[in-house]
Order: sequence, then structure tokens, then C-alpha cells
Amino acid sequence: MITVDNVTVGYGTAGFIKAVDQVSLTINDNEILGIAGESGSGKSTLMRAVYGDFSTGLRIQSGTVTGRFEDARTGKVIEAQSSQFAPLWWDQLSYIPQGSMSVLNPLMKIEAQVVDGLPAREKQGSSRALRQRIADFLAGFGLEETVLDAYPHQLSGGMRQRVLVAIAAFVNPRLILADEPTTALDVVVQKKILLMMVEIQRRQRNSLVLVSHDLGVHYQITDRLVIMYQGRIVEQGPTAEVFANPQHDYTKNLIASLPRLHGKRAVEVVGASA
Amino acid sequence: MNLLRYIAGRLVVYILVVIFALTVLFFVPRLGPTDPVEAMLAKVASQGAYMDAAQVDALRQSLADTFGLDGSLWDQYGAFIKRIVLTADFGPSLSMYPTPVMELIRNALPWTFGLLLTSTLIAWVLGNFVGLLSGWKPNSTSSRVMEGIAICLYPIPYYILALLLSILFSYIWKIFPLTTTIRGAPWSWELITSVVWNSFLPAMSIVIVVFGWWVISVKAQTTALKEEEFVRYARLKGLGDARILSRYVLPNAILPQITFLALQIGLMFNGSLITEILFDYPGLGLLIYTAVLQGDFNLLMGTISLSVIAVATATMIIDLIYPLLDPRIRHR
Ligand SMILES: Nc1ncnc2c1ncn2[C@@H]1O[C@H](COP(=O)(O)OP(=O)(O)OP(=O)(O)O)[C@@H](O)[C@H]1O
Ligand SMILES: [Mg+2]
Repeated sequence: MITVDNVTVGYGTAGFIKAVDQVSLTINDNEILGIAGESGSGKSTLMRAVYGDFSTGLRIQSGTVTGRFEDARTGKVIEAQSSQFAPLWWDQLSYIPQGSMSVLNPLMKIEAQVVDGLPAREKQGSSRALRQRIADFLAGFGLEETVLDAYPHQLSGGMRQRVLVAIAAFVNPRLILADEPTTALDVVVQKKILLMMVEIQRRQRNSLVLVSHDLGVHYQITDRLVIMYQGRIVEQGPTAEVFANPQHDYTKNLIASLPRLHGKRAVEVVGASA
Repeated sequence: MNLLRYIAGRLVVYILVVIFALTVLFFVPRLGPTDPVEAMLAKVASQGAYMDAAQVDALRQSLADTFGLDGSLWDQYGAFIKRIVLTADFGPSLSMYPTPVMELIRNALPWTFGLLLTSTLIAWVLGNFVGLLSGWKPNSTSSRVMEGIAICLYPIPYYILALLLSILFSYIWKIFPLTTTIRGAPWSWELITSVVWNSFLPAMSIVIVVFGWWVISVKAQTTALKEEEFVRYARLKGLGDARILSRYVLPNAILPQITFLALQIGLMFNGSLITEILFDYPGLGLLIYTAVLQGDFNLLMGTISLSVIAVATATMIIDLIYPLLDPRIRHR
């Protein structure tokens, strides 16, 4: 799906502030890849580089991000560098940006914001049928149909975040990049949404990259896990293996710092009940 | 429900503003050292008419009547407000006796109204358009040129610009008329072209000065909006420039401009006073000017009261339209 080969990414046109340092990883078809790491370790930067969003002054100094999009629906295969991804946005790949508060247009109803940008294949049929499909889709996220006629300011922060997840997933793309999609949610809703995202991924059989600093989240739903530390990848592997046998000191600290319940790590308790 | 409360609140403010303005209008001339009745009497006397004491007294009485100067201050105040609010009667004009002040105003008002409405609209639409484009693509040649023009025009004092226009286009090149003369029967094509013809320069002069202000203000809005997360998100959705501009940037940039429009109406109205004098344009401004020059007390009271009410009403209407356009206020 995506091959990130030894990329160094940073910001600035005059100077260059390095944020991601010689990172290599692959995002496979039909998998959920988790990225964890402390604040400022370059998670969002890596996501932007993969998505091909250079609007923030982001620059790939060296290395390549190559994508190969195979659309089983049309049989079409597209190969491109991430700098050439823009025509594929909201078609082959979609994005859930970090921080949900001002991501939605304050003057547009939610329904219009779901529809705006949808690829033609998802818009087929009458607008009433489309509305019904969106309403059903939102119901899976615990959102009522009235949300479609609401303006963003009428929704809570958590509802907005769910709307953003739903918008990105409704596109039905080959790759979804989710940057901290559940941070504003309480634990119960967070779990519901995560399970919903897993279910959608299993159904669409696409790839999901999930950024979160919450290891519990990764333990619950990711297939593989990447740990970032100060702009570098310090550890990656199948999630269960990383948890069972952490190699890097930073990862060990992270896992050790998870709260314990009855002598077991909380993640094991949560994981067992999931 | 909240919208109703907003409307009610705005109406109360409107009424208070109008009453306050009328009160000031009532007291200021009465605090001044000149007694309008004695001034009028002196004027009549200076024209050489001989009057005996009884005649002078009779005239004094009738003048006091028309000026509403009978009774205590409170009686006068009550009568004054009642006359304006209930009957809109300002008595006869003294300089164009016996034409009623209201008739003069009724003839002048459409001119001022038409001039201000069209020139404000043109300036607003043009200014928003240019400001939006130059904020969106600040480095393109066309937006630099347009913005350069706007910034050069913006600081020119209005009366200099107006004089320049009228010297250039009515005196040197005799394209437009120097003073207003309207021809044609009511609602004929000839009348319409004649009105447009005569209004062109005054309208242009207003458009030119106001345009720059809008460009600068909308450009600032657009520049800020470009960095807003929802605009960046729209771009990450793969939406094209035209769609992002029309659906995401434009509505959010325009909305605050509507409030500015409400604030500007008053200034524009003051400006139109100068426009009308400079271009000899038969609107309310020229009427006020005439009233001052001729010492026509009734006409002055009438024109100024009406200006206050007109500006307050226009501002209120825009303020009432605003929440209909902004869902954050509409659905609160
Ligand atoms: N637009 C930008 N311009 C300049 N520097 C930036 C920009 N965005 C991020 N950085 C810098 O890049 C580094 C990595 O930031 P990034 O946002 O990728 O971290 P993160 O891992 O996503 O953190 P968090 O968990 O807080 O979201 C930081 O040092 C940050 O200061
Ligand atoms: Mg981040």
C-alpha cells in the first residue's frame, strides 16, 4: 500500500527544522497500523508526509513515500509519490485531522460537509437515498439523524470528532489516516468508536493508520505498532509482540507506566473484555 | 425563542437611539444664545418692513407657534416628540414659505436614498470581490494591481477626490453635467437615463473612496481564513479552489462585513452631505445645507430628524438581517 523509505521530514522554507528523522515503514493492505509516541515525536508530521499535505510548510528533505493503490472495484492500479497524491484525496485516501474543534465549516450543515468532496462512486443515487445512507452510517457512531441538519457549533466536541471519523470512513477509501481521532472522547464512547472503526476496516478491507499516544487504544485494535521517539522509529512489529517483548527502553517505560488492576495491566483487562 | 428576544432587544435599542437623538435635537438649539424668534424678527425688520408693536407681537406669537416654543420646556418637549413621531409634521419651510418641510424632504429623500444604496452596493460587491481574490492569491499580478489601486485611492480626502472628478469630467472634458438638471416625464426612459447621467459622478466618487476600505478589510479576513483549520480540511478533501472560495472562505469572510456595513451607513450618510453639496445633487444633504445657509429652522429640524431616523433604521435592518445569515446566532 504505502512504502516509507528512509524519509527525513521537517518544516520551514529558509531554515529546516527536522521533525521526522530517517524513518522507514510500510503500511500493508488490509491492516490497522498503530503509531504511538510522546508529544512532539513527529507522529502528525509523518502522517502529513504520507498524505502528501505540504500546506503547512512541510518538506520531505530526503527519502521517498511511495503509494500503490489497487482498486478492486475498478481494477485500476495507481502508483505515485506522496507529493502526487492530491488527486487521490477523498477518493483513494482520506484523513482525520488532529483536534476536531474548528475543522468543520461553521456555516455549513453537517450533511453538506459529509457530501462535499465525496467521490462520484459514493454519491450515486438520489440525494434522499444518499442522505439515508449517511444517516445509517452515522447511527453506527451513535449519532442521530438530526445531526445531519445541525451546524458544528450545535454539536459537542466528542460529536464533532465522531462526525470527522464518519466523514473520512464514508469515503470508503483504500487508506484512512487517523490522527488522534478519539482524544476528546470519554472512555466508553472512545471504545465504541474504536470498535466501529475496526468493524468498518474489516468490512472495507482497506488500511487504517491510527495515531494515538494511548497504548491501551493500540492494544485493543491495532495489528502492528510503531513507536516513535524524538522523530525516529525506535520499535515496530506486531502489536502483541511489542507488548509482550518490548525492546527499547522508551517502549518499556510506556508499557510499565500503564495503570495496573488486580496485578494485571489495565490494557489486558480492557483487551479481554473487548 | 432567543431570536425573538434578540429582535425585541434590537427594537428597544432602536427606539432608545431615536428618542435620544431627537432629545438632543430638541435641547441643543434651546441651549444656544440665539432666540430663533428674535432672529427671525430681526431678519424681517432688516429687510426694511415697518411694523408697529402690535404687529411685531402677532408675528412673534405665530413664529413661536410654528417653532413650538409655547408653554414650559416639558410641554414643548412632549409636543415636539409627538409631532415628529405621530404626525411627522415639521411645519412650513421658512425659506421656501409656505411649502411644508415634509414635502421638500419627500422630494429629496429618494435622491439620497438611491445614490447611497447603489454606490454602497457597488462598492461593497466590488470591494469584497477584489479583497477576496487578493487575500486568496496575494502574489498574483492582478490582485497586486487591484490592491495597489485600492490602497492609493483609500487615503485621498473625499472632497479633493470629488472636486478632482468634477473638474476632470464635467469641466475639462464635458462628459457629465456640472449641476443636476433632470428631464423627462415621471417613469419615462428619458427620466431614468437623465437620473443615471446626473448621478454617475457623485456615485463614482463615493464608490471610489469606500471601495478601498472594503478591499483592505476583506483581504485581512481572507488572509486569516486561509489558515483556518476548516479551510485546510476542505483542501485536504481535495476540493478545488473555486469551491473552497465560494463555500468556505466567502461566506465566512462576508459575514463580518455585514456588521461593518451597518457601522458604515452612518458615515456614508455624513459623506453624502458633502457629495450633494459638491455635485449640486438634489438630496437631503443639499437640503440641510440650504437650511443652514438660509437659517431655515423648521427645515433644519425636519431634515436632521429624518436623517437620524433613516440612519438608525438602516442600521437596525442590517442588524436584524445578520442573525438570519449566521447560524451561530440563529440557532443558539
Ligand atoms: N507547521 C509546523 N511548522 C514548524 N514546525 C512544526 C510544525 N508542525 C509541527 N512542527 C514541529 O515538528 C515537531 C513534531 O511535531 P508533530 O506535530 O509531528 O508531533 P506529534 O507527535 O504529532 O505531537 P502530538 O502528540 O502533540 O500531536 C515538533 O517539534 C513541532 O514543533
Ligand atoms: Mg500530532
